[in-house]
This record gives sequence, C-alpha cells and structure tokens, in this order.
Amino acid sequence: MRKFNLLVLNEWLKISKKRSNIIPYVILLVLSLAVGYMTRTFAADMYASAADFTADSLQPRGIGQLLAILVIVGTAGIVSREYSQGTIKFLLIRARSRTAILASKYVTVLLYTLSMQVVATVGLFLSGAVFFGLSGGEAGIGEILTSLLYSTVYCTVYATIGFMLGILTKSTGVTIGATIFATTIDKLVISREFYKYVLFPNLNLAAYKDGGAPMQGMTLTFSIILLCIYMTLFLLAGFAVFRRRDVA
Amino acid sequence: MNSTAHNVQEPSGPAQEQTVLEMQGVSKLIKGKAIVDNLSFKIHKGEIVGLLGPNGAGKTTTIRMMTGLIRMSGGDVLIHGHSIRKEFKQAISQIGAIIENPEFYPHMTGYDNLLQYLRMSDGAGVSRIKEVVELVGLQEAMNKKVRAYSLGMRQRLGIAQALLHSPKLLILDEPTNGLDPAGIREMRDYMRRIAEVEGIAILISSHMLAEIEQICHRAVVIQNGKLVTVTQLTEVPEARSEVALTIRVDKLEAARTVAGALQGVKVTGADEAHFELHVQLPDGAVPELVAALSEAKVGIYRITENRQSLEEDFLKWTGGNRIA
Ligand SMILES: Nc1ncnc2c1ncn2[C@@H]1O[C@H](COP(=O)(O)OP(=O)(O)OP(=O)(O)O)[C@@H](O)[C@H]1O
Ligand SMILES: [Mg+2]
Repeated sequence: MRKFNLLVLNEWLKISKKRSNIIPYVILLVLSLAVGYMTRTFAADMYASAADFTADSLQPRGIGQLLAILVIVGTAGIVSREYSQGTIKFLLIRARSRTAILASKYVTVLLYTLSMQVVATVGLFLSGAVFFGLSGGEAGIGEILTSLLYSTVYCTVYATIGFMLGILTKSTGVTIGATIFATTIDKLVISREFYKYVLFPNLNLAAYKDGGAPMQGMTLTFSIILLCIYMTLFLLAGFAVFRRRDVA
Repeated sequence: MNSTAHNVQEPSGPAQEQTVLEMQGVSKLIKGKAIVDNLSFKIHKGEIVGLLGPNGAGKTTTIRMMTGLIRMSGGDVLIHGHSIRKEFKQAISQIGAIIENPEFYPHMTGYDNLLQYLRMSDGAGVSRIKEVVELVGLQEAMNKKVRAYSLGMRQRLGIAQALLHSPKLLILDEPTNGLDPAGIREMRDYMRRIAEVEGIAILISSHMLAEIEQICHRAVVIQNGKLVTVTQLTEVPEARSEVALTIRVDKLEAARTVAGALQGVKVTGADEAHFELHVQLPDGAVPELVAALSEAKVGIYRITENRQSLEEDFLKWTGGNRIA
C-alpha cells in the first residue's frame, strides 16, 4: 500500500508542479464570485442564503459543466503526455506493474476531481455569503452535500471518459476536444426508448430531485446501475489496452 | 620481484562466470516482418558487451524487449534467471536502462525527476541520489528545471536514473550521444570501474565503433535482426601469435633481403615511395628481425603494427553501408 501511495504522490506532483496548475482553481474562485454577483444584480430574490445559492449552482446544470471541462483539461494528459514526452520509457521500466502505475494515475484523477469540487463548493459558499448572507433560506448543509455528490458523479464520469480516451488515443488534444464536445451535447434529449440506455441522460442525477426524471421510465437506481456499467467498461478498456500495448 | 606471480592465472572460466542476461531465441515480428530474429546470447557478471549493427538492425527493438517495453513474439529474456515476461518485477528490478533519448519531466528539476524514480524503487534511500549525481557530475544542475538541460546533461541524468536502484545489469542505447569528449572519457572510466569493482554487467549499443572497441570486452553484431557474430575485443596476448608490421627504413632493398632471409618472417609487400616494408611474423621473432636489420646497417625510422580495426571488421561483417 505504501508503494502504491508513493506512485500516487508521484502522479500528484507531476500535475501540481506545473506552474499553470493554479489557474483552474483561480478560475473556479473568480467564476463563483462572478456568478454570485450577477445573480445578485439581475435576480436579487432568487436565493435567500449562501446555502441556497451553493446547493443550486453546484449542480451539473449550474457550473457543473465548466467544472467537468476544467477537470478534463487538468487530467487529459496524465497518460498521453507520458507518451508524447517520451517519459513513458523510464516510467515503465520500474519494479511496478503497469496495472499499479495506471491505477495510481486514475486515483490521482479522482483526487484532482475531488479537489476541484471542494474548491468550487468553498468558492460558491463564500460568494453566496457575500451576496446573499448566511441566514435564512431553506437549504442547509445536507442540500449542499447532495449537490456536491451529484456534481462529483457528473465530473467523475467525464474524467473517466477522458482517462480512457487519453490511453486509447495517446493524444491530449483529441482527448480534450472529444470530451468537451460530449459535455456540450449531453443535455440533448432524444425521445426514443433506446436513448435511456445511452450514457448522457443518466449523467445528471440531480434530475431525479423532487420526484422528476430525465425521461419517462427512468429511475435513480436505473441510472446508477447504468453509470456503474459504463464506468466499468471505460476502465476495463483503458487498463486492457495500457497493459498490453507495445511502447515504441 | 617475484616473477612467478605473473604466472598465476586469474580464476576465470565457465564455472565462475555468473550469467546476468540470457537471450533465448528472442524474436519480434511486426506485421509479419521479423524485426528481431531468433537472437540468443549471454552476458556475464562484470562484462561490458557492445551491441553493434547498422541503422535499423534491430538494436533498439532488442533493448525494448529486454526491458519489457514491447512484447516478444518468441523466445525469452532471463535476467539473473528471472523471465522478463513471467516475473517482470524481479527481472526489471535488476536492470537500469536508457532507451534512445533520455526524456524527463521538463517542468521538474533534475532532483525532483530522480526522486520520482526513487519512489518507484525498493530499498534505495534519498542519500543514493547524492551518490549517483556525484558520479555523473551533475551536482550543480540538480535544482535546475530539466527543460533547461542540454542533451549531454540529460544523458548524464539518464545514467544517474539508471544507476539509482543499484542494478546488476546496465543497458545503454547510444549513451555517448550528445556527450562532449571529456564526458565520453569520464563515462568510459566510470563504466569500467563499475564493471570491475561492483561486477555490474553492461550492454552498450552504439554506432561509435572506436568507442565500443575501447571499452567493451565483447561485441555482439546483428544485422536485419539476426546475429552476425560475437567477437572478443580485449586481447589475450598469447593468442596473438602472428603480427603484421610496417617498417620504415633507409635502404629498402637491403631490408627486404635481410627480412626475407630470416626464418618465419614473410615479406608481404614494399612501398618504394615511402621506403616502407610490410612483413608478417610471429610475435616472438620481432626482436630478432630488428637486431638483424641493425646488424646489416639498415636504419629504422618507424615500426608500426597493422591491426585491422573493428570498423573494418564491422564493414566486412555487415557488408558495407546497406541499411536493412
Ligand atoms: N513499431 C514498428 N513498426 C514497424 N517497424 C518497426 C517498428 N519499430 C521498429 N521497426 C523497424 O525495425 C527495424 C529496427 O529498428 P530499430 O530501431 O530496432 O533499429 P536500431 O538498430 O536501433 O537502429 P539505429 O541504429 O538507427 O538506432 C527498422 O527497420 C525499423 O523500421
Ligand atoms: Mg536505435
């Protein structure tokens, strides 16, 4: 386990030692303030408190999509850049299995996703506190955590798609492009029976709040099972290819 | 002085020679073409072996298979008896390698890069970084970003990286590429030292034949992925009975007569323009020939040995400049 933690530390350092690593966090904070300010200016009575504001804005319909894009941009290169830089050679001639190395990269992607979520939540809450005040409103810590959970699920699925694409294509650019494109079309609804088995309508679990559903005949359990199946497939494909591939 | 001491032979021979690397009929097929074809050879403890071949011979492909970066289509590679296919971790932990250009994380310092590899190896402590960095002479550059390194500096960092976990086998693909003459010399001295003192086996692939000739004990020559020959490079004095000499003299005809009259000496030619006589004779007969020439009042200006260089051998083996 210690060995694995050291692998994760390595991956985390590779990301965080980049000087540009601070930028997405700054963007999140600035954006939180901007959203708070605009809402306050144009729809002053929309939220009664910081908790209301945070719980609502954090969802995939709120800043969730941007959060997903930032996560993708931050982690898309975690595998592909090793290939393009040529560092993959030194990485793979160590007494560590390819599975362990790739798993440490995936854990790092998850940690990165989580860190972005936390910063976004804190940023939104601060912004909410400034523009809407702390007292009043209906939402509490429970609502904020629920929103955080929905947002994390949404971003994690996209991070996993990016992770797989990075392995399959070995191209950071293609990975970022394809995954961001997916985030822009995932809110489309095609009213056909088959569409509920597609990944996209199942991504936003927040849609089930207050008894709603993205499409007729879909339930929260259905979506969760489907997301699990998709994630498993993505990861299996990524690990299978990475373990077997010739590094030339 | 005790002259008998010279006659004591170093204990050597198959019994003492520990095999560090064993290639067992290794092949690599890509799209039906054999890039490496049924390659077998061994490297023993403390031995420095050159891997030679023209461009595209399959040297890098061979090294990639030894280090598990690519799968082999057939055969196996054993490192200290561990198969790189079936016991990857045990096998690879004995190997330190540079494969083609050494590439590091450019946004991190040399020290941070080495720390990355230290965290992935078992047993070595942080103090080991200081040791290897001193060995390759990079102390000054440790806190610089690798982005700012020259090729030679990256090559040195590559060697530091390869030695970090104290491997038993060092595999170096074009290690002197980018090094300055002083760096090449340092590297050579260092390779010899670790081979002799620590018993590390070293495999070096290179185009610089002079380089290989100076440092390696043996050379494995491949072409089109096939083994061409394995040749001994370090001389065993007794083994070289016949020598070929060029002697520059003042009286060429007289010299030719004197040399021709001596037993065992063959005159192979003469160069009138340069007053040079070419002879072939047993090593032991050289003083005799020199004495005979002096006696006949033939003045000697130069005696040079005509040795076929590895380069000539190499061109002979591989048939000149054809690239596969
Ligand atoms: N992935 C690949 N697909 C197809 N052919 C390949 C591949 N990798 C190598 N080759 C071919 O295999 C042959 C050997 O390549 P390799 O890089 O091993 O040669 P080398 O001996 O290292 O040459 P050099 O001295 O130029 O470094 C070349 O003809 C090359 O074109
Ligand atoms: Mg090569």
